[in-house]
Amino acid sequence: MNMVPTIGIETHVELNTNSKMFCKCAVVETENPNESLCPTCLGLPGALPVPNLKAIESITMLALSANCAITKNGMFHRKNYFYPDLPKNYQISQFDLPVGVDGSIEIILNETKEIVEIERVHMEEDTGKSIHKGSGRIDSATSTLLDFNRSGVPLVEIVTKPVIKSSKEAVSYIEELRQLVIDLKISEGKLEKGNLRFDANISVAQEGDNELGVKVEIKNMNSLRSLEKAIDYEIKRQTKLIESNEVIIQETRHWDEDKEVTSSMRSKEGSADYRYFSDPDLPNMILSDEFIDNIKKTIPILPSEKRDKLSETGLSISESNYLSKSEEWIYDLFLKTQKITNDTKSTFNLITGELQGQLRKAGTEELPEWFTSERLSEIIKMINENKISFTSGKEILTNLIKNEIIPTKYAEDNNLIQDNDSDEIAKIVQNVIESNKEVVERIKDGEEKLVGFLVGQIIKSSKGNINPSIAKDLLLKEL
Amino acid sequence: MNIANLSISEISNLYKNKELKPSEVYKEVFTNASLSESIIHAHLKLFQDEATEASKLSDERYAKGNPLSDIDGIPIAIKDNINLKNHETTCSSKMLSNYVSPYDATVITKLRNNGVVFTGKTNLDEFAMGSSTENSAFGPTKNPWNPEHVPGGSSGGSAAVVSVGSAIASLGSDTGGSIRQPASFCGVVGFKPTYGTVSRYGLVAFASSLDQIGPITNSVEDAKILYNSIKGHDPLDATSIKESTVEIPTDKNAKIGVIKELMEEGISDESKKEVEKTIKLLEENGNKVVEVSLPLTKMALSIYYLIAPAECSANLSRFDGVRYGIREAGATSYEMMENTRAEGFGEEVKKRILLGTYALSAGYYDAYYGQALKARSAITKDFENIFKEVDYLISPTTPTPAFKFGEKTENPLEMYMSDLCTIPANLAGIPAISIPTGLSKEDMPLSIQLMSPARTDSSLLEFSETIEKLLGFNQRTLLLEDMK
Ligand SMILES: [Zn+2]
Repeated sequence: MNMVPTIGIETHVELNTNSKMFCKCAVVETENPNESLCPTCLGLPGALPVPNLKAIESITMLALSANCAITKNGMFHRKNYFYPDLPKNYQISQFDLPVGVDGSIEIILNETKEIVEIERVHMEEDTGKSIHKGSGRIDSATSTLLDFNRSGVPLVEIVTKPVIKSSKEAVSYIEELRQLVIDLKISEGKLEKGNLRFDANISVAQEGDNELGVKVEIKNMNSLRSLEKAIDYEIKRQTKLIESNEVIIQETRHWDEDKEVTSSMRSKEGSADYRYFSDPDLPNMILSDEFIDNIKKTIPILPSEKRDKLSETGLSISESNYLSKSEEWIYDLFLKTQKITNDTKSTFNLITGELQGQLRKAGTEELPEWFTSERLSEIIKMINENKISFTSGKEILTNLIKNEIIPTKYAEDNNLIQDNDSDEIAKIVQNVIESNKEVVERIKDGEEKLVGFLVGQIIKSSKGNINPSIAKDLLLKEL
Repeated sequence: MNIANLSISEISNLYKNKELKPSEVYKEVFTNASLSESIIHAHLKLFQDEATEASKLSDERYAKGNPLSDIDGIPIAIKDNINLKNHETTCSSKMLSNYVSPYDATVITKLRNNGVVFTGKTNLDEFAMGSSTENSAFGPTKNPWNPEHVPGGSSGGSAAVVSVGSAIASLGSDTGGSIRQPASFCGVVGFKPTYGTVSRYGLVAFASSLDQIGPITNSVEDAKILYNSIKGHDPLDATSIKESTVEIPTDKNAKIGVIKELMEEGISDESKKEVEKTIKLLEENGNKVVEVSLPLTKMALSIYYLIAPAECSANLSRFDGVRYGIREAGATSYEMMENTRAEGFGEEVKKRILLGTYALSAGYYDAYYGQALKARSAITKDFENIFKEVDYLISPTTPTPAFKFGEKTENPLEMYMSDLCTIPANLAGIPAISIPTGLSKEDMPLSIQLMSPARTDSSLLEFSETIEKLLGFNQRTLLLEDMK
């Protein structure tokens, strides 16, 4: 029998607002615990929440960008559960009236576009952090330290419908969502900092079954790698259970990063009845048409729109996807340069290969302002027209990153212009063949790799002014 | 001259004319407190040193002719569920018996900026849940008119201190009548403003959608003065409303409705008579008085006892022994939280948390809490409609005068009934005031309640002054006279 997995993903995105969701405390990045606190985010008696307008703008922007219907008359609910790092022992969240519902996000899987349907996008506040001593879990810890710096930081939760079919698709979805929040400038989008945190709901059913299998929630996946591994592991685990006619328990399981297995987690509060009710401390969240229209106006170009634009230049879907997830300036540089060179492939290769590689080596992410698409185009053109060798192109590129040069002038000044006069080259080729007779014999006997050696000799004799491909062509003709 | 019987404006004028000093007034109210406290136990804490100091600073301001406001140097007591920086806020609960607040409530900031002298913190039913202060973890407050009777609640301490003269005025909080009912029992004025006109920031929440801070005073004028100094939009309270006062007639043209359902069975003849007496005076004054019907007021109690416990069940979750308050040891953190809550909360509080948790539980929400919300909007609508016909509504404040200790503790429903007339105003978010009218056969104070549309607080206070004058009742407890 053929098993089909179905996956839904809940992602928490930490917004990059200056202050927390319901108080004026700064959102801080510090190792010093309990630095940014006030009566509200510490849940002191009598303190009240006041919503952060910037956060509501951010979530509205995200919900619109994910093609959601916006709830114009929404509200905040209290989600009740006891946990030491939840200061009020309820979390201000949203229940049946989230900011956005019924959306979709386009993702790329290899060379195809897929649509991941979004169930809801809602606003909530983060909890504090628990540091359990003597054990990883609260029940068995000898003591627990609490840090409330994170308490009250605005979080957006995005929940997909159960439509994802593989771990690869799940990874691609998170990559897309990450790029989306970065492009919208509403979150730093750094996975390693916990800006995006995800849980996966996984079930497996027999192919053709109308009903989904028993849902298991997986928590504690801290990277895309662990997301992929955990999903694959869980699919295998559930498939095995079904195949041996065993029961799958609906539960929450914990991904163990070291052992690379999921294990059953004891639930927080027996059965989870969160007793949601509208928070009487907060008025309804009214999002006026005017407010929504103003947000729409500020939405920048989205990753999917970038891909469409890139595809128009002739890039493949995966190449477009790669550039849509690169830094903004790389995307811009490609489009501008491609427009001048009209050579999509060379432009893409030089930017994503040589340029990005050199920058990575130099440990920088930015280009100097003189590094314009015009100057880059000069290099590409010279290479394409065989005026310089690719090696010389690289050299010019390296220089252009460091110094304000004009590539064509630099090539001339540094004798990088290739000698493309075939007669001249033919003479040099003849000379090289004459003085390397032994090598020529060996090539004829089948040692083809020695061709490269002779080409090297030719270039050496010409002081690097010979186009290697022309030299090689001539050499092979002579041989 | 009995200073404690003077009005705020009289004291303020004496200050300005240098005929009286804030420190003298404070000394007088402190003497009253030291004489009365052993009998009535109205304060949980007296800030003697701090208040003496503050009153002397106020002396200096008047001496220089620079008082901060018209209430500079007025001694005011604060209900102990309102946060005052660096003082305990116990809410009369063992849970918070050791809790010291690091911040001021917005109302305190406002009063502080106006130069008020804080006399101390007053007793209440634990977390403001109750109608007699019998639920205080630190012992009940007694009624200054007769210590065998309850002072009402939950702001029993705040009403008693004004009644006995150990403060010139006080702040209370009113969730279902917690200002008006004790004010009525103690023969003083109690005013619950429109929901959202006074910031709740710093008031320890009982039921957030119903709670409102308000003044308890000797006269309507004092209530007006105090209300004006604590009201106003607060950016720290999202439910606080931007000022937009609505005016309604306050003279002979004001039309008054008598709520039929609050003049029927369940209301004592004595309480009804006070309303009838007031109606007669109003009619003589030229006002039109008509009978109106608000059938849903009969459901108010049931609605209230679903909504208030539901909200409180979440509001009181934060008291878990983790960050502040008492802590009872346990083998795990969950056991610690359980033990702390078992030990820290009193019976009434536990009862309401259980009630509220149940009403919000999966499978019961729609039947209980959901229905209560619907009924609440229906009541609010009913009030809006009735206010198209009349300007004010009149009723007794309480079904009976102050009852005796223990009389209703065995029967919670009867205890809850004492808030029958006051709860509707909280559900509808409208302003309501209790004005003393006379004494019962047993010489206990009686009052009438006046309600008006949302945001008409100023008109309500102005019209109440007229009624107060028409009634001409100004008797006070003789508790201290007997002692002096
Ligand atoms: Zn804060």
